[in-house]
Amino acid sequence: MAAAAAAAAAAGSGTPREEEGPGGEAAAPQPQAPTSAPGARLSRLPLARVKALVKADPDVTLAGQEAIFILARAAELFVETIAKDAYCCAQQGKRKTLQRRDLDNAIEAVDEFAFLEGEFPISRQSFPPVFFMLLT
Amino acid sequence: MAERPEDLNLPNAVITRIIKEALPDGVNISKEARSAISRAASVFVLYATSCANNFAMKGKRKTLNASDVLSAMEEMEFQRFVTPLKEALEAYRREQKGKKEASEQKKKDKDKKTDSEDQDKSRDEDNDEDEERLEEEEQNEEEELDN
Repeated sequence: MAAAAAAAAAAGSGTPREEEGPGGEAAAPQPQAPTSAPGARLSRLPLARVKALVKADPDVTLAGQEAIFILARAAELFVETIAKDAYCCAQQGKRKTLQRRDLDNAIEAVDEFAFLEGEFPISRQSFPPVFFMLLT
Repeated sequence: MAERPEDLNLPNAVITRIIKEALPDGVNISKEARSAISRAASVFVLYATSCANNFAMKGKRKTLNASDVLSAMEEMEFQRFVTPLKEALEAYRREQKGKKEASEQKKKDKDKKTDSEDQDKSRDEDNDEDEERLEEEEQNEEEELDN
C-alpha cells in the first residue's frame, strides 16, 4: 500500500496526488510565508514514512492521523524554507547550484535551524581543501 | 545518535521536487545538498514529534494530536508554519469527511449485494483501511501496555 504510493512518487510520473497547476506556485514566490493555495496538494510526503519516523521515538505511544498529516506538511514547509535560505547563500556566491556548504551556512545563520547543528557529520565538502593543508 | 536506518529517510524524488518548486527556475541542487536536506527533514520530524509528545504528556494524553504538533511548531520557533498548517488541516479534515462518507455509502451499497465482495474492497481503499486500522490500533493499544 504505502510502498505503492512511495514507488509512484519515486517514479515521478503522473502521481495521483498532484493537484496543483503547472508553475502555479513558482510564478508567485513569497520568501516569508509559504504559499498554500486553496485546493492545492494536501501532502506529497508519504504519510507511512512520516508515521515510521514518529514511531521511532521511544517516548511516543500513539499518534493520530491528523498529527501525522500535519507533521508531513510541516516537513514540506521546512524543506521549502531551508532550501530558500540556503539559496540566499548560493546567490551571494553567484552560483546556480546549491551546495552542501550553502546548507551548512544557512543552518549556522538561522536561529530556527539550531536544532540541526551537530546532527550532520562534518564532511570534507564543508571545508575548503586549504583548511586540511593547514592542519598538517 | 550514530545509527540512522535508511528507511527512515523521506523519498528523494519528493524532496527534490519540493526543493525545485521552492527555488527559482534554473537553480540546481547538488546530490550532497539534497541528501542533507532530506536528512534535515527527518531530523525535523523527529524533533517536532518529541516536542509534540511533551505537550501530549502535559495534557495527560497518550495520543499525539494535531494541536500538539501546532504547539510544537511554536515551541520550535516555526510560528510562520502555524497558519498554513491550520489551513492544511482544515482542508484535510474536509477531505477525510468526504472520504468517510463515500466509503460508508459504498459499504451500504455492497452490503446489499454479496458479502464476499467486502474482501476485494481492500485493494481499492488502501488509504481508508490504513486510517481505520490506525483508529482500531489506538483503541486496542490503549488497553495494552505500550511496547
